[in-house]
Amino acid sequence: MMQRPGMIERLIRLFAESPAAVAAFVATLGVLAAPVVGLAADSGGASAVAYRDVPGIGSRNLVWIVAQLHLLLAGFVLGVPIFAWLCEVVGWKSGEKRYDKLAKEFTKLLSSAYSTTALFGGILLFILIGAYPKLMAYLSDIFFPSFMVYCALFLLETATLYMYWYGWDAMSEGRSKVFHLVLGFLLNVFAFFIMIIPNSWATFQASPVVIAEGSDMARAWAATWNPTWWPVNIHRLIANVVLGGYICGAYAGIRYLSARTPEEREHYDWMGYVGNFIGVFGLLPLPFAGYWLMREIYQYNQQMGITLMGGFLSWLFILQAMLIGVLFLGSNYYFWMGITHRIPGSELRYRKPILAMLIILLLCLGVWMTPHSLVASLEEARKMGGTHHPLLGVFGVMSAKMTVSNLMILVTFMSFIMYWRAGKEDTATWAKLANAVMGAVLVIAGIVVVVLGVWGYFVPAIVRINYFSTSQVLLVIFVMVTITPLTALLLKSAKTTTEMVWGKMPPRAGYALVLNAIMVILLMTLMGYARSSSRVHWHVYGVMRDSSQYAFSPALGYAAALMAANTFMFCMIVAFIFWVATMGDKAKHSHGGKEKSGDGHGALPAMAGGSQTLDKQI
Amino acid sequence: MSEVVKLQLIGLSVIGSGVLILLFIRSQFLRVIGFVAIVLGLFSLVALAVPQMASLPPAEESIDIASIKTPADMASIGQKIFFSKGQCALCHTIGPSESARCPDLKGIGAKLSREFIFESLTQPQAYIYLDYRHEGLPKEYPARMPYINKNPIGLSKNEILSVIAFLQQMSGEPISVNPSELEMPGSAPAAPVKSAQAETVTVAQAK
Repeated sequence: MMQRPGMIERLIRLFAESPAAVAAFVATLGVLAAPVVGLAADSGGASAVAYRDVPGIGSRNLVWIVAQLHLLLAGFVLGVPIFAWLCEVVGWKSGEKRYDKLAKEFTKLLSSAYSTTALFGGILLFILIGAYPKLMAYLSDIFFPSFMVYCALFLLETATLYMYWYGWDAMSEGRSKVFHLVLGFLLNVFAFFIMIIPNSWATFQASPVVIAEGSDMARAWAATWNPTWWPVNIHRLIANVVLGGYICGAYAGIRYLSARTPEEREHYDWMGYVGNFIGVFGLLPLPFAGYWLMREIYQYNQQMGITLMGGFLSWLFILQAMLIGVLFLGSNYYFWMGITHRIPGSELRYRKPILAMLIILLLCLGVWMTPHSLVASLEEARKMGGTHHPLLGVFGVMSAKMTVSNLMILVTFMSFIMYWRAGKEDTATWAKLANAVMGAVLVIAGIVVVVLGVWGYFVPAIVRINYFSTSQVLLVIFVMVTITPLTALLLKSAKTTTEMVWGKMPPRAGYALVLNAIMVILLMTLMGYARSSSRVHWHVYGVMRDSSQYAFSPALGYAAALMAANTFMFCMIVAFIFWVATMGDKAKHSHGGKEKSGDGHGALPAMAGGSQTLDKQI
Repeated sequence: MSEVVKLQLIGLSVIGSGVLILLFIRSQFLRVIGFVAIVLGLFSLVALAVPQMASLPPAEESIDIASIKTPADMASIGQKIFFSKGQCALCHTIGPSESARCPDLKGIGAKLSREFIFESLTQPQAYIYLDYRHEGLPKEYPARMPYINKNPIGLSKNEILSVIAFLQQMSGEPISVNPSELEMPGSAPAAPVKSAQAETVTVAQAK
């Protein structure tokens, strides 16, 4: 006999299954918030209150935690539609239903994730208005028109999400499917604008421009087009794809570990592969976007750049290197495990290349993690012959770091290509030539990247930054855009010698996927702290000084403890969202299993669309 | 016990809990939580192992106008305003720079009179040519330079005079602004400048 669900459970289901309920909830929150906004507007003008503290935890810490959770959730909410839409497009083009089902199930997550994100956004707004009224009044004065646009975009996004989610089954064939794909595209377009508008507020704080007289719209527009706005937009867009992919991978990893049937193992193994693939797909161009952002920061204000890279935040970049290094290693490790466990017989064939790639990655990571200057005592500095270590100091500079990061991207790309080609034999007549061209492109690019890196030591910084580093980046991009289509063409006519076997990965593959997701989340928290701390004691850099008791930037250890706590909380919230979103499916699954309804869906795992075998059953 | 030691102990206990979970708990979800705890604990310990440097804000300076005795005092305050509240350095540089978005101000105090500088700061639209390249009334090209005496920058007359003193001193010119021109708190403004705050000149310490 089934137990009746409790009130909380019913509420959770209501939110999970009905975006309308979510919208009503958010709207109620907005109505409740209205008086607070009014009070804050009053206090911003006449009242002398600039700050209010929160006892115990402190207003800054509270804002930090809530803002971080909101941003991570927002990244997830904006990343998942990209991920889902890409999967839907792949499913539509290839005719493989499992991609479509994967996309649908991840879209299902959006409703509950959307409400949670909005909830944290609302809480953040209340806290900011209460704790930082003067700053909020200043920002509202400049950005009020964009607040309105932001609200309008939310309405459009919600309406599109309704149609996208509720219309999935109704628009599954023919022209209506194309319309559904257009809806998915629009969902991402609105989501993109929802992301870039708050970005303008945050980037204005870091790189403000002087605002001349003019209409409210003209002033808001001028403030929006600040020097770091687009670099941050692009960086966040790519990072959201990475986050969405790796979280999908982590979810699959956990479900894989607890899978009980071979079908479940097959399915979650495949889902983990898709998640990791999309994560890596985004990860490869991410360092380029980061480089562009840092370049713009230097160009905007050299002092800010120095604070980040050479000042009190310089050790942060060593931690960043460690996290990115682990992420690259984790992603490659997962690929390598895929080659050796999913493609029987390939273990021996690929052992040597894998070993070579592992050594290159570790060496590159070692160089990337080398600090430029070491904090040393006077005696230590004398023994060392200066603050820079005679040997390690050489690896600590940007020229070396740019070189190794490009090499790591190349190696990861080659891991992916190797995985793609494993178990297949070329049959095209021009295969030899294509392989020779690809090999030559890769080797020459690798050599030129290293040569430019070494040459970079002997030219002025401006030459290195403007020409050498950009050339390295362009070279790596060239390798990708040359080898990817060539490989795709080769594989079109290739003969499959060994079928890929799903569900045979060892348990450590699941943990590798979880590790990758944790690294991405930690990286986002770390760089959020970096961006915020680069403003040092300014709310708006050089314009509005932070004169609160929290105007200092805490040391890295304290900050890292908060980042770890935020990461853990975010993981728990995401786990909750997944649990809520799949609650109904589980109930249906167990119910269907008992009644043997035989509709085909009863056999599906709780999440997403089953495996290839299941596809055939449907 | 220092904060770092406390945080290290917390990090170690988190790692220990994770290890215990992995050793004794069979539920896969809890085991993953244990694994995550170990990763996060290790991350915290690494971050605590590197040099701990906090960034402390410089002291805020509040300058009493009564203490300003010489034109050089004014120029010194003007320099601070130039790089902080005045936001001049957001666009202008002193000396050529690739990052300059607006004219280089090196030597500007020698090229322009104090009256012209004052007018440029408070009426930036004054000498901008009109656009006749269309039918109807000519339009104004919007000045990129903001009104310095209006919000959001809102420098007072005292502050603007101090900035002019700085620009003249920086150009090697004799400072033509005199402290006697400063408005004392409570006195009526002598020039038609909409001052935002005319009492004390509060500036953040320039970096």
